[in-house]
Amino acid sequence: MTYVGIQTQIARNNWNSLVLLLMFPCIILGMLWVFCCIFGVQSTYDTYGNEDFYLDYKIINDTWLGWAPWVVIIVGIWLIIAYAFNAQMIQHATGAKPLERKENPRVYNLVENLCMSCGMPMPKVNIIEDPQLNAFASGINQKSYTVTLTRGIIDYLDDAELEGVIAHELTHIRNRDTRVLIVSIVFVGILSTVLTVLTRGVLRAFLWSGGSRRSNSKGNGGVAIIVVIVAAIICAAIAYFLTMLTRFAISRKREFMADAGGAELTRNPLGLASALRKISANPGLGHIQREDIAQLYIIHPKQLTQSFFDKLQSLFSTHPSTEERIRILEQF
Amino acid sequence: MVITIIVIVVVVVIILALIGIYNNLVKLRNNRENAFADIDVQLKQRYDLVPQLVATVKGYAEHEKGLLETITAARSAAMSATSIDDKIKADQQMTSALAGLKVQVEAYPDLKANQNFMQLQGELADIENKLAAVRRFFNSATRELNNAVQTFPNNLVAGMFGFHKEAMYEIEASQRAAVEKAPEIKF
Repeated sequence: MTYVGIQTQIARNNWNSLVLLLMFPCIILGMLWVFCCIFGVQSTYDTYGNEDFYLDYKIINDTWLGWAPWVVIIVGIWLIIAYAFNAQMIQHATGAKPLERKENPRVYNLVENLCMSCGMPMPKVNIIEDPQLNAFASGINQKSYTVTLTRGIIDYLDDAELEGVIAHELTHIRNRDTRVLIVSIVFVGILSTVLTVLTRGVLRAFLWSGGSRRSNSKGNGGVAIIVVIVAAIICAAIAYFLTMLTRFAISRKREFMADAGGAELTRNPLGLASALRKISANPGLGHIQREDIAQLYIIHPKQLTQSFFDKLQSLFSTHPSTEERIRILEQF
Repeated sequence: MVITIIVIVVVVVIILALIGIYNNLVKLRNNRENAFADIDVQLKQRYDLVPQLVATVKGYAEHEKGLLETITAARSAAMSATSIDDKIKADQQMTSALAGLKVQVEAYPDLKANQNFMQLQGELADIENKLAAVRRFFNSATRELNNAVQTFPNNLVAGMFGFHKEAMYEIEASQRAAVEKAPEIKF
């Protein structure tokens, strides 16, 4: 794992965000084409009266071209809404509230002083009323950058440790890690929803068309099974795509870079090491069951219940092991 | 013909590179000046808190008039200091006077219970942390400028346009001995 400077990291993250943004319409249109194929299966009868199925590409492509602009517009609007409201969506999903300086000057001052020591404009500070220990950074532009802390972590860590955690999150913001992360979360969210809709749509379509098209009941069962299997394979392929997208956006390297940046910011790597020790004893946010938001956390909670897609994602764990992080910090 | 084109392209590339280097140096220098001004902002905030502190303490600690006068005098000296040396000296006097106040306050339980006073103490402590933070940033900015000015292709441009290595926020050798001694608490 080579160390790169912060400017390189920022440039890389900006590039990755752009690539993700561009890949997205391509993937959506690809899925639309596959969808058209499934619906566009034509049948003819050969001389023995048996049904034969083939794909008429001209019809499929025409259908696709007809639908494509609408799909792009709808997805574009969805994307704009997600972009504009991502901060509120995350706040809503996690139950975070803003933190005023008056309410907790200790935390506010820690964040403010760290920002001053590296000349960074201060992000917003949010708090989640949860006794468990965790923290994350989010936001895609200066207006929406936020550091969120739980009540548990504020009360349980002492000043040096809390400073280390905050410095780690601030480094994520500085590196623009949060930007890439949120872009990928928005996409994966949209793609999962579209996928679920498609899957249900495909299944329903075949239940209906089973009655109207076929006359030969033996061919009925066989074809339906094959098509459902094909649809399942396609869905699995798309799900794989989703996990690749996520892996592409997040890598363990980022966590090490954030640890290093945080340690440099505070000039005190042992503070963060001791904080990581305390947190690893007690990390999960109990009521947040969403795997995608969990990737933002400082330590990945393992106790989340997992859906099918989540299980796929957990194969490619996005956080390095905590022991390794502590070891690296303490070697100084 | 081809050679002419190649020469022109090379010259243009070199000129663009020089422009880029010069602009970068200007940005780094301005960044450093900005950081230096930020230190003054924090110092001013600290000096602004002092009259409030003195007013709060006066009501409770009649016997400490001498100490309060020392603090006020240190503040005036700091506000009117012009040279860097004077500023540092005045800063040190202020620090030791405030430290003295902290010690004396232990003897006045009424004062310690005063919300205003505790809040002011908290603000002062926070300003000390902020001063440390902006000084750190000033030193980072100075380091970046020095790196840019001294590394190879840039040092040619730097020499041409008057950029040179700048000083960190350091205490002068003559002052260092005084500072490294613990602040004297004299009443």
